[in-house]
Amino acid sequence: MIPDPTKLTIRDAHAQLKEGALTSAELVKACLDRIAERNPQVNAYLEVFSDAMDQAAAADAAIAAARKAGGDFSPLLGIPCAIKDNILIEGRTASAASKMLEGYRAAYDAVAIAKLKAAGAVFLGRTNMDEFAMGGSTENSAFGPTRNPHDLERVAGGSSGGSAAAVAMDGALFALGSDTGGSIRQPASFCGVVGLKPTYGAVSRYGVIAMGSSLDQIGPIARTVSDAETVFEAIRGDAGAAEGMRGDGTAFPDGAYRPARVGGAKPVIGVPRHFLGGDGVDPAVLAAFDAALDSFRAKGYEVKDVALPNVSYALPVYYVLMPAEVSSNMARFDGMRFGLHKDGADGIGDYFESRRAGLGREVIRRILLGTYVLSTGYHDAYYNRAGAVRRMIAADFAAAFETVDLIATPTAPSPAFKVGEKASDPVAMYLEDIFTVTANLTGMPALSVPCGDAPADPSRGRPVPLPVGIQLAARHGDERALFEAGKDLRGEVQ
Amino acid sequence: MITAAELEHLAALARISLTDGDKESLAKEFDAILGYVDQLKKADAALDAEGRVGTVKNVARPDEARPVSAESRERLLAEAPDREGDFIAVKKIIAQD
Repeated sequence: MIPDPTKLTIRDAHAQLKEGALTSAELVKACLDRIAERNPQVNAYLEVFSDAMDQAAAADAAIAAARKAGGDFSPLLGIPCAIKDNILIEGRTASAASKMLEGYRAAYDAVAIAKLKAAGAVFLGRTNMDEFAMGGSTENSAFGPTRNPHDLERVAGGSSGGSAAAVAMDGALFALGSDTGGSIRQPASFCGVVGLKPTYGAVSRYGVIAMGSSLDQIGPIARTVSDAETVFEAIRGDAGAAEGMRGDGTAFPDGAYRPARVGGAKPVIGVPRHFLGGDGVDPAVLAAFDAALDSFRAKGYEVKDVALPNVSYALPVYYVLMPAEVSSNMARFDGMRFGLHKDGADGIGDYFESRRAGLGREVIRRILLGTYVLSTGYHDAYYNRAGAVRRMIAADFAAAFETVDLIATPTAPSPAFKVGEKASDPVAMYLEDIFTVTANLTGMPALSVPCGDAPADPSRGRPVPLPVGIQLAARHGDERALFEAGKDLRGEVQ
Repeated sequence: MITAAELEHLAALARISLTDGDKESLAKEFDAILGYVDQLKKADAALDAEGRVGTVKNVARPDEARPVSAESRERLLAEAPDREGDFIAVKKIIAQD
């Protein structure tokens, strides 16, 4: 057996499984041992599935059959993964880290889950998150915060903090998250792993508990760019005609976008330097970001400035449109059809009491904010204006992609912050999303790749080095450019 | 500055009961958030009701019943807080004299 299989990439684990040097049972057992050791401190997993070893045994049987037949098999067969608690797996609990759905059992598989099942992945458990994916630190979970495996005093980021921490603590080879404004990429940056927000519509949203439907997208968190690509290829696309899978209209067919490159051998990288000078950006983050750009130049990439005239409006636009969509999507939690029920004086009283008892502070804040921006008298000033500015921002990016293939920024303005540091200041927390929301507003794909550390600096209260991520965004449908550049930056084979 | 009465109105629309303490903290947070998003007023935006992002547009499924297996129906009904047979039970909404 491999000395520590939990540290393997998907690619290497697959090679070992193929050679017979490792079994899925050994791999899954090693991950379960690591989870038992680390999860009490980190709280990445809300539940570890009791049948993980049974799933591994089934995968080993399929591997043995494939090996006997001399054939190849799926790169995810027998590979253990973690699933964010807002993505449905039939028959298992999906609580979205909310009291509202505590104990709720999914009646069907999300399309992305059905695809992972078809590929033979092993589901280890469900991961912690900000309640209903609303937050940037996983502190808004009804089941306690997830802590950063690099420094337990700090947050793992959010909202997919449990998924990122599960991979970073070697408690899974990959994880699925969801990203509405940066919820895959920012925790990936904080935990030193790779996170992809695919093109809007590249992965079906069927079976993800909706937050902001024009923004949400499921994507992978993994240790390497190559692994993120492998998972993306497995989960992309709509349900198709496969037996037992249902179409849903939230994913577009392959070939919906046909991105054309301006770069020759390598994609051209654009940097909106005017957007990076704000005083909210940690100098250690900018230093790691600039070092990554130097590394790209050294590898033959052209790096040049681009202008995005309206990009500074992206975050205000997001914090109008997202709550508006939240307020609509959260209306389904009525205490009658599923989820928590609390008795009120009458039928409508049941709504008020159930929602009050089941929903946390941040969720209530966003529902009310969304109700406000959609209400008579404010609709034009907020919601319609935000929609119009969203289109201006999308036009800015489209114009920039006339001259470059990728747009680079830091993923987050700071490394992981301390638990509790921003909990009482919603605007400070919202500023975490400043570089990531653009990809959700425009629908373009974006990847966070580790690009070094913010060095230990005890004078700034930073006793250990903390990971920093660079974000690369591309044209709609051009995930390939993200993977190509990400692999080059990390020195991975193409 | 958002008033307690406005917050009460929003909470009524959203079907959430709030305590006085909630209203106080929410009023402060609302002011901070709305103060931040108010910079949108400076954007030189032409408001039009239409518009979409990328090539994506809303796709609604046909409004038709889909056959569901008995097991699937039972799984869905099993999540209801209260039921009678294959119905979800809720409180009476029309009072009888």
